[in-house]
Amino acid sequence: MNGLPFFGAAIGLGMIVIGAALGIGKFASAAAESIARQPNAADKITGAVNLPLFLLEGVAILAEVFVLLIVLLK
Amino acid sequence: MFVQEAVQEHVATEAAEKFNAGKVIIEHVSNSGLDHPLLHVPRVLGIDFSVTKHVLMLWIVAAFVSIVVIVTVRRYLRQDRLMASGFMNALEALVEFIRDAIVLPNVGRKWVNTWTPLVLTFFVFIFCANAIGLIPIFEVLGVLDHFVLHTAEESLVKHVMHGGTTATANFNVTAALASITFGAIIVAGSKAHGFVKHWTNLVPHGLAWPLYILLIPIEVMGMFVKPFALTMRLAANMTGGHIAILAILSFVFLFTEMFGRAVAGVGVGLAVSVPLAVGISLLEIIVVLVQAYVFTLLTAVFIGMAINVHH
Repeated sequence: MNGLPFFGAAIGLGMIVIGAALGIGKFASAAAESIARQPNAADKITGAVNLPLFLLEGVAILAEVFVLLIVLLK
Repeated sequence: MFVQEAVQEHVATEAAEKFNAGKVIIEHVSNSGLDHPLLHVPRVLGIDFSVTKHVLMLWIVAAFVSIVVIVTVRRYLRQDRLMASGFMNALEALVEFIRDAIVLPNVGRKWVNTWTPLVLTFFVFIFCANAIGLIPIFEVLGVLDHFVLHTAEESLVKHVMHGGTTATANFNVTAALASITFGAIIVAGSKAHGFVKHWTNLVPHGLAWPLYILLIPIEVMGMFVKPFALTMRLAANMTGGHIAILAILSFVFLFTEMFGRAVAGVGVGLAVSVPLAVGISLLEIIVVLVQAYVFTLLTAVFIGMAINVHH
């Protein structure tokens, strides 16, 4: 079973993308909705969305690094 | 660090019989190996201090940033009336943005002047290191060398060709930057609350004691996870974009090899690779800015968390 690590890495990468996309999609939709309701608070909403967005991105990137490690260290 | 070693090992073990996209790409983003350093330094305490490509890039970035900023500020201060002009306007806007939009909301009015210099230094350094990685200086030098200069096999110009240009794509560099953040968090907490109080502030007060068994390990782990996440985020982001660009550009060579003629490769290059690579490069410009912003913002947030404890 030579290609098994690649198989796992590819599936893992796909799942990371699904998860990150779902998360970012929720952020974007919620931010757009709340800005539409209260255009005055756009700055505050953007600021509040920014930080968790970067944390989410960090988790996704971390997972991708580990996928890369699986491939490189197989 | 561990990842870098793994990458280099992978490069070393990979036998190159034909055009090997993976090998070429990894060679273009990872640090140059210690077997052909730019400057030989004898081992000190068993550590090889030889200068590699990323160290050279760090020096270039540091020299560039210091010269540009010092010259601009000196010229501004020499005037009779302190009127910002030219590049000083941009610098002033940047400093103001970092202070008012990143540090002040997170750290608070009392400590803003203590921590703005650190955060500002982070931003300028990371931004310049990221941005210089996007400029193909060494590729241009390589083309010049190939067609005009014709330097010898072991010359400095040939040595400079090895390895990637983005110093922040190296996990060791970002780990060093994140350790400064790690230290800054502890210093900030200690300065605001006293050394012992900073550590007791890590967990909320007045809970039932079984909760502390759960909470203390989590908080201690969190202390190390914060700089670790900073390390990985910056380095992985800077590596990822470059790998994507190089992978798309390597289609040219893959298709040339597949069809056995250069026309196929050049056609694919013009039709697919170049437009896509230009698009990703544009995206990279945004990523360069955002990652510098994210690193500084998170540093400010973590320092602020140590100062303004919400428990």
